[in-house]
Amino acid sequence: MTITPLAQAARPTSRSIRWSPLVGVAAVLVIVLLVARTAQRPSDVVMAIAAAALASVVVASLHDPATDLLAPVPVSVMQRRLLRLALVLVPALLVWVALVVVAPPSLEATSPGPLLAMTAVGVAAGVWSPARRAVLVGASVPVLWFALDMTVPSDVLLGDAAGWWRTDPWPVAAVALGALVAGRRR
Amino acid sequence: MSAAAPALPVSRPRGLTRGVVRAVALAELRRILRNPVLWAGAALSVWMMWSVVPDPDEWAGASYEEIAVSVTPLLLVISLVTAVSFHRERVEVAPDAPVREGTRAIARLVAALPLVGIAVAYAGLLAWRQRDRGGLWLGVEPGRTTEALFTAGELAQPVALAVLAVAVGAVLGRRLPHLVSVVPLLFVVWFLVSVYWLFGHEVVTPFSVLQVQPVRVHAGPATADPLGFPAHWLLEGPGEFSGQWSRVFVSNALGWWHAVWLLGLSAVVGAFAVPKGRTRRWMLAAGSVVAAVGVVAQYAVLP
Repeated sequence: MTITPLAQAARPTSRSIRWSPLVGVAAVLVIVLLVARTAQRPSDVVMAIAAAALASVVVASLHDPATDLLAPVPVSVMQRRLLRLALVLVPALLVWVALVVVAPPSLEATSPGPLLAMTAVGVAAGVWSPARRAVLVGASVPVLWFALDMTVPSDVLLGDAAGWWRTDPWPVAAVALGALVAGRRR
Repeated sequence: MSAAAPALPVSRPRGLTRGVVRAVALAELRRILRNPVLWAGAALSVWMMWSVVPDPDEWAGASYEEIAVSVTPLLLVISLVTAVSFHRERVEVAPDAPVREGTRAIARLVAALPLVGIAVAYAGLLAWRQRDRGGLWLGVEPGRTTEALFTAGELAQPVALAVLAVAVGAVLGRRLPHLVSVVPLLFVVWFLVSVYWLFGHEVVTPFSVLQVQPVRVHAGPATADPLGFPAHWLLEGPGEFSGQWSRVFVSNALGWWHAVWLLGLSAVVGAFAVPKGRTRRWMLAAGSVVAAVGVVAQYAVLP
């Protein structure tokens, strides 16, 4: 059984995670959304940035300085990844809820779907990337995808696809989870 | 029998330091320019710039504002590649190098100068693109133009922002223990400042990072006769986001003073990328003064 070792590892793992990026990103987003309450403009784009940034933070938390040290333990890499994800994803979702509460009342993008879709895609990209740069690649994917979404005109096919993480987050998350399951032994 | 390496002199001849700076800077520059992320970001910015085309259905000044934001991906990648460079300071062998950290930091900053050069080229391309299109649209009748071009002050902003991007990347790369943590922080910083309408109010705009002109200044109530405003004013009427007539204010001086504010801010931020000591204190003091002058001058310029 691996549940017990994972439960025992939860506390030291949470100590090894660097929480400053999540705190820093959350603080900046809260400040900007408070400013947005005074502006009479839509703030959905701020929430889209928040989703991509939080997803990048969650994926970045997979960086484990003790990877080599823990390699021989009888808990797989994927299980250790899932433990880290669970430990960071819950606070990230709480931050999301806080952002929705702070955001102007006119906000429409309140679903955490884009955040979860980006997270799943980032983790899947990290799992299938070369081990040396896996987490860096995974954490960069939400950033890159968002940049493409903002850059590519929506009237071309690529522009349409670049927006799927916002418009159809659940199918995107499902595909990413499929890739994750396929790479569970990596 | 034992062999001991002779201790390095505490102070070196100026020529030797200059040679070390040149050598480290050239090595860093090669690494920076070989990073494909830099060129991908630059390409995205140019693509964004090219995709901005005035549309009859746009709100007043949309293309003029959006084209200013297209620099965002370039700024992000400038910060990223600078962060990668400064993160090498955290490699365990760095403290044992026979070159002081301050010298290495200066060399890395020198290596980042061509990144500012890329921003200069981008600003030149931006100016050419606007002229090639015959200008952009600003304002509504009776205060409207279809031949609006960025002023020199507005074109200076991408260059000043590139300096700030270098400073931000240097600090985060030097101070954060893991490079992977830098990615989301830089992303959120640069893409949030690109949500320009949040920081466009006349009170906030001097402190903004990416200042997108025009600034809207109250001209009269919704019931006012727009023909009664001075003929040279560009105007924006009451609409979805505003219940008044506004003067659409574009200023060359405002752009230049904002660049001054950005350079001061860059010195203050960049100070934390160099080791404690005289250089950092000098950068903090000079940067604070320059930034304050920039902000005060912007308020003086605003109507």
